[in-house]
Amino acid sequence: MTGGAGVSGTLRGARRPGPAWVVMLVCTLLACTNNPYPDADADKKILYTSFREAPRTLDPAVAYTTSAHAITGAVYETLLEYHYLKRPYTLIPGLAAGLPDTRSDAEGVTVYRFELRPGVLYQEDPSFGLGGAGRTTREVSTADIEFQLMRLADPAVNSPVVEPLSNVLGFRDFGERLRVRREAEPEFATLPAHEQYADVGPIEGVVVDAPLGLAVYVASDYPQILYWFAMPFTTPMPWEAVQYYDGEDGRPRLADHPVGAGPYVLAEYDKQARYVLDVNPNWYGVRHPEWKAPAATYPSEGEPEDLAAGRLDPAYVGRPLPFIERLEARREKEAIPYFNKFLQGYYDAAGVIRESFDKVIHEGGLSDEMARRGISLEKSVEPTVFYIGFNMDDEVIGTVAQEPGRKLRQAMSLVVDTEEYNRLFSNGRGVPAQSPLPPGIFGYDPDYVNPYRLVDLERARGLMKAAGYADGIDPETGKPLTLTFDTPDTSAQGRLRFEFFTHAWRQLGIDVEVAATNYNKFQEKVRNGAYQIFMWGWVADYPDPENFLFLLWSDMARSASGGPNTANFKHPRYDELYLEMKSKPNGEERMVLIREMTDILQRERPWIELNHAEDYALFHDWLSNVKPFGMSFPTVKYRDLDAGARTRQREAWNEPVLWPLYALIIIFVAVTVPGVVTFIRERQ
Amino acid sequence: MLAYVIRRMAYGVIVVLGVLFFLFLLFFTVTSPDDVARKALGERVPEAVVEQWKVNHGYDKPLFPEPGAWTDNMLVEHYRRMLTFDFGRSDADDTPIADRLRAGVGPSLALTVPLFTFSLLASIPLALLVALFRDTYIDRMGVVLCVLAMSVSILLYIIGAQYLIGRLLHWFPISGFDADPRVVVRFLALPLLVGLVAGIGGDVRFYRTVFIEESNTDFVRTARAKGCGEARIMGRHVLRNSLIPILTQVVLAIPFLFTGSLLLESFFGIPGLGAITVDAINGNDFSVLRTMVYIGSLLFVGGQILTDLSYGLVDPRVRLE
Amino acid sequence: MEAWVFSNIVVAILITAAVGLTGVVLRSRMWSNAFLSLWRRRRVAIIAIGFYVLVALLDSVSWVGGEQFGEDAVAKYQAQSILDRAFAGIRERSYSAPLASVEFYGGAPLVHPGRHLLGTDLLGRDVLHLALKGARVALLIGGLTSLIAIPLALLFGVSAGYFGGRIDDFVFFIMSTLASMPGLLLLITLIMVMGKSTFSVCIALAVTGWVGFCRVSRGETIKLRELEYISAARALGVGEMRIIFRHILPNLAHLVIITFVLMFSGLVLSEAILSWLGIGVDGSWGQMIDQARDELSRDPIVWWNISAAGSALFGLILAVNFVGDALRDVMDPRTLREGE
Repeated sequence: MTGGAGVSGTLRGARRPGPAWVVMLVCTLLACTNNPYPDADADKKILYTSFREAPRTLDPAVAYTTSAHAITGAVYETLLEYHYLKRPYTLIPGLAAGLPDTRSDAEGVTVYRFELRPGVLYQEDPSFGLGGAGRTTREVSTADIEFQLMRLADPAVNSPVVEPLSNVLGFRDFGERLRVRREAEPEFATLPAHEQYADVGPIEGVVVDAPLGLAVYVASDYPQILYWFAMPFTTPMPWEAVQYYDGEDGRPRLADHPVGAGPYVLAEYDKQARYVLDVNPNWYGVRHPEWKAPAATYPSEGEPEDLAAGRLDPAYVGRPLPFIERLEARREKEAIPYFNKFLQGYYDAAGVIRESFDKVIHEGGLSDEMARRGISLEKSVEPTVFYIGFNMDDEVIGTVAQEPGRKLRQAMSLVVDTEEYNRLFSNGRGVPAQSPLPPGIFGYDPDYVNPYRLVDLERARGLMKAAGYADGIDPETGKPLTLTFDTPDTSAQGRLRFEFFTHAWRQLGIDVEVAATNYNKFQEKVRNGAYQIFMWGWVADYPDPENFLFLLWSDMARSASGGPNTANFKHPRYDELYLEMKSKPNGEERMVLIREMTDILQRERPWIELNHAEDYALFHDWLSNVKPFGMSFPTVKYRDLDAGARTRQREAWNEPVLWPLYALIIIFVAVTVPGVVTFIRERQ
Repeated sequence: MLAYVIRRMAYGVIVVLGVLFFLFLLFFTVTSPDDVARKALGERVPEAVVEQWKVNHGYDKPLFPEPGAWTDNMLVEHYRRMLTFDFGRSDADDTPIADRLRAGVGPSLALTVPLFTFSLLASIPLALLVALFRDTYIDRMGVVLCVLAMSVSILLYIIGAQYLIGRLLHWFPISGFDADPRVVVRFLALPLLVGLVAGIGGDVRFYRTVFIEESNTDFVRTARAKGCGEARIMGRHVLRNSLIPILTQVVLAIPFLFTGSLLLESFFGIPGLGAITVDAINGNDFSVLRTMVYIGSLLFVGGQILTDLSYGLVDPRVRLE
Repeated sequence: MEAWVFSNIVVAILITAAVGLTGVVLRSRMWSNAFLSLWRRRRVAIIAIGFYVLVALLDSVSWVGGEQFGEDAVAKYQAQSILDRAFAGIRERSYSAPLASVEFYGGAPLVHPGRHLLGTDLLGRDVLHLALKGARVALLIGGLTSLIAIPLALLFGVSAGYFGGRIDDFVFFIMSTLASMPGLLLLITLIMVMGKSTFSVCIALAVTGWVGFCRVSRGETIKLRELEYISAARALGVGEMRIIFRHILPNLAHLVIITFVLMFSGLVLSEAILSWLGIGVDGSWGQMIDQARDELSRDPIVWWNISAAGSALFGLILAVNFVGDALRDVMDPRTLREGE
């Protein structure tokens, strides 16, 4: 260094930034807290939850995801609902005055007649101004339900439930008439939807016989149709909202702005960050508590365990709903911060994330630490099935390969250890699946053990040999048989999962390559039938075995109709049994049919059934009346919370630990001061 | 002077047009609109719905100008839309992209502007300090610390800070955001801290090099020979003469105020433009991604022009010709 | 050609090239002096880099055949590298801590107690093995990308600088266009559009990374072509190509080396970010960090995975950064800063 003389004078000036910085930091920290909410909200009855991905649409005719139903289910009201506590799931009247009258006429047509409650209002919304200046709401009528059913049939709406609702007389015909008319007259297609529908004429099987009466004519034997009236798809939909919320001139689209008659209204909707549901003052339960409507009062009966869990507390039984005045959902993309915020008391309820499982769950119950914090745990098996599927159209592993193909599938099924899979990837949560049917669904047999879902390496090797692939060697190439496992999942977690399966199959000498491509490429492969092995799951729409077994019905084959039978399983006997089972009432006869169907699946192995998901719901002790529901059904209106207790607990759990900061400052000073002092001394 | 300004701007426009052409090649010729439509609508939709979707998004026209469609094609449409800032609707969920940008820019700036300011306020003085003590153990330690800090992946900084500060010490919320001014500072503290620590190593090292180089120039040596105090030299002469590289660095950082916090925003749940971009990446939402790249380069080009013009202001030696 | 044969050939070429280069360095006074002074300054860092390279080579030499690899019946028909063979057949069922003799959760006894120096991961794979395998991926990313980017940058930079005029305008336009797009976004977009693979990651990194060096080599070429002896050569009628290859390129060699080293750490760190976005390279440290990040909130905490990957990454980047710094001081005191 040159010219080192005369430096000492102005050292102070140069040293300033370091300590100033620390002082600034301390100032911030003295006010520090990890409470993510404004302090003023602490005493309000606000339920805090989270969402991962904002739903793509909130249009009840299209929305089909759990995250969408969390909103649409609360904002839109349906004719029927499920009983909150009773299991098996039981339908109760919602907007309907009672369960529908059912009668069958001579031609095999079944008529369901609904009667709507009078004087039910929609939420306040500017769109009602279309029906008369200054109007902000109006009464719900059955014509609105007819309108919504027409929307479901409308090909332009592109509803995912056209298929099951086509059992309604004239449903597809209506959509076809609409399409033809629109193609012939482009002018017509620009009219508001309700005018188009009125012009084309009604759906034959949907008859509004009185302002509050609705008759639905169902052609084939399809008793499951009633379940659809408990889902937001069939909610009454005001035509005003459809016309008004078109996304033009700064108005939002219907997909982002629901208008319903349900217990809550969507008060704020920011897809990136949060949404807020407020109690709807127009909800019939709020306006008419004296009706004691079954879906607007807290239930008085339930299962024995509900009594034990305090869900039949006399303080609640018979009281009008809802209890919680506001629900705030924040976006949480990552599981860890979300779960930690739950532990800190900033979310009221949470699922158990895999990573924290051992901390939370101890030998099937809650760990001591959690129990001390007053956290409760509710377990329930969800009506779901997760499976690995084979493409039955494939030449090596499909039906075409006949006996060797079947043996190969059986062998591969025999080495996938679901228990181990559950242990590694979900901490033992989930019921190992023996057939497509989960517990709680009719047809599930707790004693049934699928012989191909036991782990038996020796037997699998034997089958490989019998299939002509001794030690996995493909006689054509002299090398291990190579298969491809296609997936759209490119995440790190996904890779570990697939590594688990491929490792299992490598024990048989089969080399399965994982092709993790992006979603587009994956869909393209599926469309073209260019796939061999895939992994998929199904969440039931309603609690009936038909909703699971149809996944392997040949009419639903992906290759034939683009349906959800991605395995392209086509088996004449299975189809025959399916059609017979479909409309049978639950009973011994139906059970026999289902047994034969599971036997076919057991032998043919279009799927390697993995598990039925198990939901572990955790919630703090200030939250009451929590019962996991399994199916996509909004339960917020039944819940209640004690905001005072919540605030106290949060404060106790989140005391900032400040000593490391002081330690840091001391270390900083200890390191720099001697250095600077030495330096000054040297210079002088 | 005026001629220079005009020429400089014209060149900027040409570069932006080039960027747009590059984006067009990437997003329209390499990926087909059908794929994008299928992704947005799901695979079980009839062909007619896909066609309708393509019409709604303007993806149904011929790609390049051809007889009969000299102006009505996707290339022209692409230029027209981007240049008039008519970004249309998102491929994935049909919301207007402009609305999303408006909603995202606030949270983004709330994070990046303080981060940028604090980094400058911290790294320039630190670099001056290190340069002042050059060739002593403070300098050597400083450089080693900088290299250490630079060699850690930012992922590790984020994960570590969330675990230590958020989870164990309860200083700040682990993640989240609220535009409410009463709570917004709580949410920003942790990402700010991480951004600062992750960036400071590189910044200090860069400015140190600048200062040391500047302090080896002849006139600084002259000042030193005349007996000027070292700290005074640093403060007066070196800092002032280093303004050009500092300014370049600063103005060129402007586009990164806008797009640069991809990771911080995503990990800390800040609904800014960076998070929107990451969502677009995960959801294959090419329309949003395209817009983001375009706006990023627009800002960059603008920043560059500003830098060039402002050279004249800070350094009379530079003449704009 | 099978991938493993190719890999072996590449290793052979690399070793031959290294031997040849050593010969060149030993013969040239300038280069050997530079290397000596580098060695004196950064002994530890150079040894560390040497270790990473050695590990990567051990993981690149592979052949088919051999005994049974644990439960895996396919492995013996596939090429296994020396590194894989050293760690073959010691898979456990799930997590175990470093040097533990029982499983981390549940406490079941391990099949190979005490053999896992850095523990095992969720699927029971040896973490040391995985971390060492990451070295090859990291060097591959850095090496392959530089192999694409540097010749590209030289081609454009030198021709623009040497010929000037239209060519210069064109190259300058391309450079400004690419440089004005936000780097990370452009990178991601390229990978998404090209599809996910090691090669496309490298191409994308190269496309976004070559501009800086192109600018430097253009500037340096402009300076060089004005030098007297090159003007003289031109006046004597020496061919353009000959001038470029005999006089210009050799004078850019030191820049190439410094750029390579300085670029390297940036590339490997970028890959870590790409991994987090799900578009990284299989088997990289970034991917290990991504897989392990949730493990920090396990209780009891699983720390060895993320620490192994994190420190392996940190070690390489640190060593490269130190060497890069010293290299710049030794070989080129000024020019490169402009390229940053």
